[in-house]
Amino acid sequence: MGIKEVLLALILVGVSFGISFLKKLDLEKDLLIGTLRSFVQLIAVGYALELVFDLNNLWLIFLVILIMVLVGGQTAGSRTKGSLKGFTISTFSIGVGTFFTIGGLLLLGVINADPKYVIPLAGMTIGNSTTASALALERMHSEMKNKKDQIEQALSLGVTSSQAVEHSFKATVRAAMIPTLNLMKIVGLVQLPGAMTGMILAGASPLQAVKLQIIVVYMLICAVSIAAVITARLSQSTYFTKYHQLVIS
Amino acid sequence: MCKIELKKVTRKRTTKEGNNLKEMEVLKGVDLSVMPEEICTILGPSGSGKSTLLRLINRLEEVSSGSICLDGIDIKELEVLNLRKRVSLVFQVPVMFDGNVEENLLFGLKVRDEKSEKEMMKCLNLVGLDSDFLKRDSQELSIGERQRVSLARTLMHKPEVLLLDEPTSALDPTATLQIEKLIKDLNQELKLTILFVTHNLSQAQRLGHRCVIIIDGEKVEEGDSQIVLQNPDNPLSQKFIRGELVKEEK
Repeated sequence: MGIKEVLLALILVGVSFGISFLKKLDLEKDLLIGTLRSFVQLIAVGYALELVFDLNNLWLIFLVILIMVLVGGQTAGSRTKGSLKGFTISTFSIGVGTFFTIGGLLLLGVINADPKYVIPLAGMTIGNSTTASALALERMHSEMKNKKDQIEQALSLGVTSSQAVEHSFKATVRAAMIPTLNLMKIVGLVQLPGAMTGMILAGASPLQAVKLQIIVVYMLICAVSIAAVITARLSQSTYFTKYHQLVIS
Repeated sequence: MCKIELKKVTRKRTTKEGNNLKEMEVLKGVDLSVMPEEICTILGPSGSGKSTLLRLINRLEEVSSGSICLDGIDIKELEVLNLRKRVSLVFQVPVMFDGNVEENLLFGLKVRDEKSEKEMMKCLNLVGLDSDFLKRDSQELSIGERQRVSLARTLMHKPEVLLLDEPTSALDPTATLQIEKLIKDLNQELKLTILFVTHNLSQAQRLGHRCVIIIDGEKVEEGDSQIVLQNPDNPLSQKFIRGELVKEEK
């Protein structure tokens, strides 16, 4: 596959551009920026990964994953209107979920400490954990805002802030995990996920691809659970003073 | 000794006006003494700071300056969760937690045993409800029933002081009178000290041993309910009681 095929695929973006123009969706600028960004980012990542794969250094792999975690944390944290707390919470949650999951797979010998495996798998983990963390931050905020009366009623009865928001905490974790849980339900039936598609396109047998995809799905649900629970618990604590008083603007 | 004593309590809040943040005083140096087993009604127009006063005593909010004492001890020196069990707040709109009435009554209790079961029945009877209510879905109760369950839920923690924030404002006249009778009974039977916020003058007269009038965050008058409400000294109280208090004058 060469650059010619890539340029031909741009026709598809043109279709999207046309729809936006005809239906006055006012998305042309976003589409243009998105197309350029994805092109430049992916080409740059391609070169960077070639270098990382060639050097095959464990510290370099760690550094790459760390950068990806920071970008994920920044993306998810930006949902809290530029708050440093949102960035810190998301980065920590995504980081714990990713390093626990990938570390576990390495320790169990399911994957080798080879950048060809570790980095793409970490990328998928971080991507899904970022979504989970962002959803958790948003949901927790709306729970605090919409259930202020219920939470304060509970607090006024002398329970701790954690007890007062237990219901909201559960609702937040559930909401954050829905995309991954849905993926588990439809995988293979409705959607052929990226890892599996990539392997098949690269010439692997469908059965081999499926085995990897099963590992990926299990890995994702573990990382997402961890990221969702940590994000929900840490973000919840930012809404209370040490005297169990709800503070929300 | 006073059961509750407020000394020069001020509460400031920051509000947003357009793009600017503005600090406003919701309560301005309020002094108040409430004696044990007394029913003290707090009167005032909407937005005068009455509810904030109760929230400060329950420590859902922090005083900006001044102090609040319970039995002579500054509430800041008391463990906050224990304070809230001793000084319980009943909200204007009763909020029911998910589940049935029994789950609501047992909410927040550390131990759920035979003793708490008995206590639950006792509290339910105190608010005029019977055991048939226990399994009813709390979300399907009428407002009046919710307010009773809310009171029973509060009583489960054996409070010494009840802070009632306009608990009858959403009720019809019959239910209002029933709740008022219930509050008087609780005051007499359980020897509870009660602070009752209302903007209903006749309710304050029917209920309170003593009443306090708060206007625009300031205590303008206090005394025996019958005397204050019939012959107020303060010009602002007089206007409030005659229903002539307009926003600009506050």
